Amino acid sequence: MKQGSSRVSRAVVSLLAGLGLAAAFASSSASAEGNSQMQMQMMHKLVEMAPYRGYLEAHDKEQHPLGLLGGPISVSITQKTGGVFVSLPDKRRLDPNVFGTPKMPRAFAGTPGIDGVPPMARGVEDGHYTEFEKLSPFGDKYMVMADGKLSIQALDATATDAATTQDRVKMMASWKDKAGNVYEVRCCKMLAAHGVEYPTFGGVVTNQILHGSSRIGTSLMPTEYTYFAFWGMGQVLKNGKVVAAPRLIHGMLTEYVRTNGYKLAFDNQVTPTRLQFHLMVPPFMPDMAHGGFKQDPLPTGFDLPNGMQLPFWHVMFENLDIHSHRA
Amino acid sequence: MSEQATAIMTRKPRGRLLALCSALILASASGTALAKTVKVQSTDLLKFEPAKVVIHVGDTVVWHNASVLVHTVTDVPKLAAKAADVALPKGAKPFNSGNLQPKADFRHRFTAPGTYRYFCIPHEAAGMLGEVVVEPK
Ligand SMILES: [Cu+2]
Repeated sequence: MKQGSSRVSRAVVSLLAGLGLAAAFASSSASAEGNSQMQMQMMHKLVEMAPYRGYLEAHDKEQHPLGLLGGPISVSITQKTGGVFVSLPDKRRLDPNVFGTPKMPRAFAGTPGIDGVPPMARGVEDGHYTEFEKLSPFGDKYMVMADGKLSIQALDATATDAATTQDRVKMMASWKDKAGNVYEVRCCKMLAAHGVEYPTFGGVVTNQILHGSSRIGTSLMPTEYTYFAFWGMGQVLKNGKVVAAPRLIHGMLTEYVRTNGYKLAFDNQVTPTRLQFHLMVPPFMPDMAHGGFKQDPLPTGFDLPNGMQLPFWHVMFENLDIHSHRA
Repeated sequence: MSEQATAIMTRKPRGRLLALCSALILASASGTALAKTVKVQSTDLLKFEPAKVVIHVGDTVVWHNASVLVHTVTDVPKLAAKAADVALPKGAKPFNSGNLQPKADFRHRFTAPGTYRYFCIPHEAAGMLGEVVVEPK
């Protein structure tokens, strides 16, 4: 694991800075410097401890991965009319089902925001975790935008992570703000045949639990049954012009994980018989050289009321036509 | 006549006037009170506004989708994710608007008294629930 350890360390400093953790760690005591260094090492260790690193090591060079049991599955998802829900930066309330308690923490390893949440970045009150102390795309705040359109044609053929994949995704998603600007995401010129910190199953996966306690994808989303998901590299556009490419794109069709007032659910609040499609363009890019992720705000071109540019897209489509069959 | 009913008439005078005329004729013929039309809006905040209306047998509710989202107005027990989100009085028939596009209307005339609890299919879990209480004449 020595090689992995040195690969990870270079990404950690920029991550800490991005998360504001470096400052948070620098206590005002006389031994601030010592503490800071110790916590930096701890953070480094946490990123290195992403739970699937061993699993990925066994799969990511495989040239001849096996196919799905029962054969490939083709999936088509469309939304022709209606709006979308756009997540705004917010502090995620921490679910004890996923994150445990300060005395017995869970889901702490991996790149924060991509994987687990380090205990040092969790608010604590009365012996319980309160919230992830950094703004992220995974919270309760949202706005709606009009003219949400989604078109996905996909194939899940390859079962496991590997060096190559037979999976395929063609996705186009768009929506419009009040001023009439059209935002668009297209994917995937390339699929993530294997993951960096957690598996991606050849780039497309069907019928699998993701997020939350699964530790596949960020734990800031609830544990959710996922009928279809993909990870790949695609393009982000505004008014027909590419504003960012290539970018990491993740989409998933899951059971419904919003509750009253569109608040992001805890695990025990998920609604199994309603579906939603989530599109995510995170403020991170994979750092293959160092085996992790680095902060990289997405230039969406959409300004928030405070003048700040929204640094990610996390968009939900909920009026879906879904078709699937064994191909 | 309620303000909401007046507002509807102002927006679409022709059809509503005709409806009103026939309602007036019926009302005078039978000697009963005039049937009302009450308006409820589906919103971007995933609410029916007002969330609860009280009407009388024979009155009509018109749901207007004032949102950029597609909503439904659904009172069909077998379509509800949670049994508590839906209710139909004895003798009342289930109703469902299907997908209501932005700016579209759906109307339903209530003929059986009792409490109706309805929901929006895509946003039921997000708390998009409504209630119509229908009192006897
Ligand atoms: Cu709705």
